[in-house]
Amino acid sequence: MSQLVARQKEFTLLELLDRILDKGVVLKGDITISVANVDLVYLGLKVLLGSVESVERMRTAAIQGSMLDVQGKG
Amino acid sequence: MYIYAITDHSRAAMPATPGLEDAPPLSIPYREIAAVVSAHSMEKIAPTQTYLWCHEAVVEALMADRTVLPVRFGTVVSGEAAVQALLAAHYDGLVANLKRVCGRVELGLRTLWDGVEGRASTPGRSEQVAQRGSGMDGRSYLLARLEEERQTQVWRQRAEVLAAELHGSLAHLAVESTYQVLMTPRMLLVAAYLIERDRMTVFQRMVNALKITHPTLDLLCTGPWPPYSFVTAGAVAASGKQREGAYA
Repeated sequence: MSQLVARQKEFTLLELLDRILDKGVVLKGDITISVANVDLVYLGLKVLLGSVESVERMRTAAIQGSMLDVQGKG
Repeated sequence: MYIYAITDHSRAAMPATPGLEDAPPLSIPYREIAAVVSAHSMEKIAPTQTYLWCHEAVVEALMADRTVLPVRFGTVVSGEAAVQALLAAHYDGLVANLKRVCGRVELGLRTLWDGVEGRASTPGRSEQVAQRGSGMDGRSYLLARLEEERQTQVWRQRAEVLAAELHGSLAHLAVESTYQVLMTPRMLLVAAYLIERDRMTVFQRMVNALKITHPTLDLLCTGPWPPYSFVTAGAVAASGKQREGAYA
């Protein structure tokens, strides 16, 4: 359950980053963002994207694993 | 001054939500619109999680009682005069955008699928062909590459048909929508929908129905968001824009 909550938070952050950094109204061209941190944030975005997919793989594997256990006992 | 959002001219009080550095948000009106800003001391704004969520919290609090155009993170100006100059410069476009999104919210959808296995009959495109290539003549090698390409095309077509089906079920509930297919091999669909506030429940029900009819897919729906994906800088926005990006 806590894994789902953590994954939900990670995912929501990904959705926020996608919007707040890349979309919305642009009133002026020179957005004042600290450059080094933007690189880190975009790196973080890619890591988040990867982690959403990894969590999904882990969850699927866990479900399949527990189903096999049930069948084995039956 | 840091700018969070553009709103319609409202008499409602500013929300209690604190802005960056705990500064209180203020409304600077200009004709029929207003900019919501706060004073700050930073030369550059770092996109930390704290500041990002702080910005978002202010925008979402505003969304509760007025029409809001979220401004991209990091918009800083010298003062009130500069704010009004920007509002004047973009006035017509901002008014048009406010009209388009009035009473509407954005819902986001990401869909993961397991169809990546269909890309090639064995894992690793070029590795597979390279392994076979060591003992192969030129013709066999080319035939193998052609077959791989064909399978990739079939896979991509599957993705596009499936994504179009999912998107089609939801897009008709929305006023506008955007979507992108195969942003990554596993990310079948990334979409955003501008919907009337009172259609949120219907939309959610449709997402749940799609989850049941497509049990192998992972549909991840978030929102309601301020309409980030449906506003443009200044100019009158194009409606019903659709972006399709195939995975290369």
